[in-house]
Amino acid sequence: MLRRSTESHSGGEVVVAEGDRVDMTPVVLAPRKRSSNFRTIAVLVVLAGAVGLLLSQGLFKNLNYFVTVDEALAQKHHYGTTTLRLEGVVQKGTITRTATGASFVIDGSKSQRVSVSVSGTPPQLFQANIPVVVVGHFISATSLHFTGNQILVKHSANYIASHPNRVKAKNGSVR
Amino acid sequence: MNKVTQRLLGPLTLLSLVGTVFLGLWVTPKATMHDGGGDLVRMLYVHPALAWVALYVSFGTTTIASALYLWKRTRSATMDRVAYCAMEVSVLFIALTLVTGSIWGRPTWGVWWAWDARLTSTAILLVLALGYLALRRANDDPETRARRSAVYGILVALNVPIIHFAVTWWKSLHQNATVLTVSGKVSVHGSMLWTLLLSFIAFTLWYFWLLRARYRLEVRSDDARQSHLAAAVAERQREGA
Repeated sequence: MLRRSTESHSGGEVVVAEGDRVDMTPVVLAPRKRSSNFRTIAVLVVLAGAVGLLLSQGLFKNLNYFVTVDEALAQKHHYGTTTLRLEGVVQKGTITRTATGASFVIDGSKSQRVSVSVSGTPPQLFQANIPVVVVGHFISATSLHFTGNQILVKHSANYIASHPNRVKAKNGSVR
Repeated sequence: MNKVTQRLLGPLTLLSLVGTVFLGLWVTPKATMHDGGGDLVRMLYVHPALAWVALYVSFGTTTIASALYLWKRTRSATMDRVAYCAMEVSVLFIALTLVTGSIWGRPTWGVWWAWDARLTSTAILLVLALGYLALRRANDDPETRARRSAVYGILVALNVPIIHFAVTWWKSLHQNATVLTVSGKVSVHGSMLWTLLLSFIAFTLWYFWLLRARYRLEVRSDDARQSHLAAAVAERQREGA
């Protein structure tokens, strides 16, 4: 008489014999190759979906993360009052803190200027003579005033040591 | 790797990491607020080195090992294991790169995350690296698994040059390269530069230490699987005797 084990191993049932009779019938394995292929395709489909989403919603929409002042003014009729990320260098002496945020002027490389008013707290590194990206829109299709709700500081790849012990001489040189 | 190198790897890793932390936190000066953001410059000794390991060292290891596996003359289980273990360590380093970049980005840019080309392509690399690990688990047959993983490992490496050049090909919020510049000019002051270079060495050593540990674990896992299989076969033979 044969007793059938409740355990299974490697996809097939193990048959244990009692007494002298031994069941040596080859174990039929599950079709693993097909299930592996199915799982591989499933993984690739999920991956393609995730990467496709990141590409379509993230990368392709933001290949060029911002529009420079020069580009925005050159194609002003195109941008109109649509929301965009405008990049320019904050002009020295133009920053004014307001009740809701800050206002300042940004320059393009061709000395073209745009006055900006932004609501919200500027980032820690916000200051004059640095490039910033402002998220917002021109108040009208012909205006040079840009209103925004976010400032992003565009940091350079320069790292210059601060020397608090050094003092400025009367002639302006640093000692 | 010879025995002396293996013995020295751990202590050298620890020493260089401690040296980086010490120089980075106590010896190097603050940067100017305009060029470096004061104390924020100390992130310079962590984030670029992590990115270096994640993109070039670790992913490079997987790509080379995958290519060597696909080439018949150098095909071996060792190459497959190295590629797999390097990819696992890659996932860690890519994730750390994104996390430290986010921590640095918040006070510098003003946001935790921006959908710019450099950041998004790095996030895609993380997804692709996780996909590699999922793909391996999907395949039961060792040879099929190794072959498919090797092909996939080489294909996803095409994303690395896109990440590298994203800041020069497109207008990106992320800064341009600090060290691996096209012109070869590095704009980092004195002791800050030396600490930056030490951090590159420290994190690279840490990577190799992790890779070696993961590789040894993989070899032992394979050995354990083989011995379990042999024991199961022996047991069945005894049952049939």
